[in-house]
Amino acid sequence: MDFDIIFGNAARAAFGPEAIILALAAIGLNIHFGFTGLLNFGQVGFIMLGAYGTSVAVATFGWSLWVGIPIGLFLALALAVALGIPTLRLHAVMFAIVTIAAAEIIRILIGSTDAIGLTGGPLSVSFDAGAFFDLNPYADGPQDRYGVGTFAFTGQQMWVITVGWVLVALVSFGVFLIIRSPWGRVLKSIREDQDAARSLGKNVFSYKMQALMIGGVIGGMAGVIDAIKTSGADPNGFRPQVTFYTYTALLLGGTATYLGPVLGAILFWFLREWIESFLRQLAAEAWLPGAIADFLEGSEGIISVGMVGLALVLLMLFRPQGITGNRIEMQLDAR
Amino acid sequence: MPADRIPSKESAPDDRSSFMDSARRTTEVEPILTVHPEPGVAKPNPILTMDGLRRSFGGLTAVDIDHLEIERGIVTALIGPNGAGKTTLFNLLTGFDRADRGSWKFDGHRVTSPSPDRLARRGMVRTFQLTKSLAKLSVLQNMLLGAPDQIGERLWAAPFRYLWRDQERINTERADELLEQFNLAHMRDEMAGTLSGGQRKLLEMARALMSDPALVMLDEPMAGVNPALAQSLLGHITQLSLSGVSVVYIVHDMDLVSGISDWVVVLAQGRVIAEGGPWKVIHDDVVIDAYLGRRRTGTAS
Repeated sequence: MDFDIIFGNAARAAFGPEAIILALAAIGLNIHFGFTGLLNFGQVGFIMLGAYGTSVAVATFGWSLWVGIPIGLFLALALAVALGIPTLRLHAVMFAIVTIAAAEIIRILIGSTDAIGLTGGPLSVSFDAGAFFDLNPYADGPQDRYGVGTFAFTGQQMWVITVGWVLVALVSFGVFLIIRSPWGRVLKSIREDQDAARSLGKNVFSYKMQALMIGGVIGGMAGVIDAIKTSGADPNGFRPQVTFYTYTALLLGGTATYLGPVLGAILFWFLREWIESFLRQLAAEAWLPGAIADFLEGSEGIISVGMVGLALVLLMLFRPQGITGNRIEMQLDAR
Repeated sequence: MPADRIPSKESAPDDRSSFMDSARRTTEVEPILTVHPEPGVAKPNPILTMDGLRRSFGGLTAVDIDHLEIERGIVTALIGPNGAGKTTLFNLLTGFDRADRGSWKFDGHRVTSPSPDRLARRGMVRTFQLTKSLAKLSVLQNMLLGAPDQIGERLWAAPFRYLWRDQERINTERADELLEQFNLAHMRDEMAGTLSGGQRKLLEMARALMSDPALVMLDEPMAGVNPALAQSLLGHITQLSLSGVSVVYIVHDMDLVSGISDWVVVLAQGRVIAEGGPWKVIHDDVVIDAYLGRRRTGTAS
């Protein structure tokens, strides 16, 4: 068993594009769920529109990537408005149901055979993200690797990662700026008790809408990075579990904190990849009984997701505030 | 009102010591004493006027008020037995519920589209029977939320601290003053969720005052509060009216009515069955029948 490889793989996942995408999705969700108390179970819908908006604009309409990216973000914003107007007045649980349904409807529409001409339907869509990689300052020969051992990235990956983490940093800082302001205080008051916020003269609907739009656009950014990373989009990549992974990352890191979603995303991918690599190495060990090895073979991914789920359960039991959260604050819920 | 009282009245808002100026209180209360105590009577200077206000839930008519005026600058107690429609009336007036029909005027303007936040911004602030302190915000943050027109509450201004910093500082000073008054200064930086039930009532009331409201509507401010704290709450209500704020409060216990209220409105089954000075109302036969009868007849006979 080679732990260098296991840790290398885990670290690569923790700092790679997947973690960036998850971090952005979680930062957006944190605005919805963490700061405003909106139970958005359709965060994947915003990611999907970000990814497909960009991909379709470039692949189907042949526009520049620099036009496609704003289109992706705009679609995520439009989804926030379209979802928000009818549903933000609903009870929190109703909102959760509507958002999860809306995200699924969008995915099914995008992936339907009728949509092949536009989105590629079930065949997925791919485009040339050359405009992005033309700016790549990293040498990108077949032999170029950045890092040590298995913790190494190609030049192209390095460029995505650099841009991605800079974006995560900027977005996190922006979120910090608006949440520490009186505006952010109103969001938190809505989370605590929206009738109290109303009685103090705050237009709750308007604030919820603003929060939904900002969080949705940040989710859209995750989708844009995803589209660029994979040079396309596939409807199967946007199943509801993406939202649940996002919640997992957010809860791991700590809801309603500034760094929680980022740390959570890093940790989520580190754990998931560590366990998966570990199991893969384990399955190859000669001393392992054949039956267990056969069971492990090919199901490492599923088991590792299950283990992350187990970690989340343990976390909720023993450290419900997440890694960066404040325990005292959590306990105030049990009034 | 005697003309020589007017200058002192104008200087009052700047001078907080005038809280204790009982002479001023008399000038506010005097006119109401001349009003004939009967349901729906017109008052000299009403801040709130209701007409034909009606709200029913299924077959139950919770509120059915032909005409009711709430006088400005005094403390009005709203009493009535359980299910009399007191809280429903509050919810209607503050926009938390919709009336089936009827209209009301606040501060001389007809309320056309009652939304809670708009009414609050116009100066009608309420508290709740079940206290709504914002648990995961500090006591100070709770207070700052009550401040009106903070430009930093607009998204475009939020990221730029220099735009709202000065306003925040002024609001903080005001908040500290109020916290001091309400004996909450030592809890300033604690989470509101750590406060006791009574302290939350105090916080909610103090928070409502951050906006310098014209009318404060308190839903059972004394419910579930120990007697000592209830006394201090009563003191705060009196001080409020001294500083020129109109107060309406819902109360259950008749003993808490006479001490501080200048006027009492009695609701039963959604209707105004009596109103008048506290002393008058307590001895009104209709009120005793509808509300106090069950409790007092036993001791009287």
